[in-house]
Parts: sequence; C-alpha cells; structure tokens
Amino acid sequence: MIISEKIISNISVLTPEGSLDAATVPQLKNFTAKSEVTPTLVLNLSGVDFLDSSGLGAIVGMARNKRESGGDVVLACMNDKVRKVFEITQVARLFHIFDDLEAAAGYAEKQQKSL
Amino acid sequence: MNTTIILPAEMRYLRLATITAWTAAEIFTDTLEIKEGVHDFCHAFELSVCETFSNSVRYADPANEEKNVTICFSSCNDSLTVSVSDTNPPFDPVTSLPDINSYPEKGFGLFMIHQLMDEVTYTREKGGNLITMTKSAGKHEK
Repeated sequence: MIISEKIISNISVLTPEGSLDAATVPQLKNFTAKSEVTPTLVLNLSGVDFLDSSGLGAIVGMARNKRESGGDVVLACMNDKVRKVFEITQVARLFHIFDDLEAAAGYAEKQQKSL
Repeated sequence: MNTTIILPAEMRYLRLATITAWTAAEIFTDTLEIKEGVHDFCHAFELSVCETFSNSVRYADPANEEKNVTICFSSCNDSLTVSVSDTNPPFDPVTSLPDINSYPEKGFGLFMIHQLMDEVTYTREKGGNLITMTKSAGKHEK
C-alpha cells in the first residue's frame, strides 16, 4: 500500500492507495503514528479499491483517537464497494462523508477553526 | 464449478484469496450469462472470503509450520457456494453488530458476511473450522 500526505486548506489529507485490509492496515497505522498531521484530517479514499472489516476498524479507531483529542476524521471520495462496507455496518453515520475532496478539506478546515 | 485452492495461513496471501474469490464469482456469472448485479455478487464473495481467510490466519497456531487455509468453490443452479476451512481451534461465531457508538475496531466481519450472503453455516470438521457461504446470483441485492 502506498500512502501519501499533502495539505489542502490547512488540513492534512492522507491518501492511501490499494487494498485497505488485514494485510495492509498495519502500514496505515504506522504511517499515522509517525506523521505529524493536523488535529482534523481528511482521509481521501479515492485510491482505495477494497476495504474489509480490519480497514474499517482502523478508520473507526483513527476517528475515535482524533475526537478524543478534539479533532476529527473527515472521509472523501469512496467508491461504491468501500461505501457499501460503511453502510451495511452502519459506520457511515459516525462520519461526515464527501464525494469531493476540496469540499471535504473545506469542511475540515471550518471544523478545525472552531476548536 | 468445482474449484479448490489451498493457501498458506499467512496474511501476505490474503489478496490472492480475495482476487480468487472475485474471479470465481465472475466466471460463475459469465457461465450463467448473468448481466445484472454482477459487481455486487462478486464483491460479496471477495469480502466474505477476505473476512474468513484473515480470521483463519489470525487464529492459526504459530507453532504449526504446515498450516493452510482451504477455499473451495462449488455451484448448484444459480447459487455459488464457497467454503473456507482451517485447522484452528473452535471459535464463537458472533454475528451481531457491535455498538457503533463505542467506536469499535473489531467485530464487523461475521456480521458483514451474514449481510452479504444468503446462507452461512459454521461447523467443526476434521479438527478444524468450516464456514460455508452461499449466494444466489438471481438475488441481485441483499
């Protein structure tokens, strides 16, 4: 799995690419543990072509950690397969989900300014 | 269709297991000349095999260097069945959804399989676990 990071609207945008599953989740966890991201971040899922329950759990855990410290995780650009996993588990209702990356970053910036 | 693949119980083989599941489902729908709902049908097998294979790897005996996971596909009329077997100790097949508001990181796998498949059975066989999952290609969305 390749994970890249950039800043949009003063917000860290993490972009994992490939399959986010039990085999690759440790890479995402290592990356987020080592990188200095903004309190609220956008997880750009446009490059994730497959998500399993381990990947879903990792995203839920990331959101819990961020929210416990006053930040948040905003989700963007998930494909139909990934969205289905969020919907059948009802995890979708925990998140603000955007189809557009700029809109997600804009929302996250407003959230961060209100901290 | 009657196809079996035996993989080492190692997480690095997970993608091979899931690609095989998607491809088996795609071949099955091609054979039946099914056009509608193929993507959802293939995804159901891809995800269900992913969840069961990764569970088998997670709970495999690390002392057993010969540990494998067997994935078997078989068809009957418009239904495709995949069975995933291992040599692991028994487990409690909890199928309820965890409390979402507690931000759980685990416990979604079997629940998802039951949501995606028409029929799921768990049995102990030959000293291991056998999960059998069946879905009809005639039911486009569950």
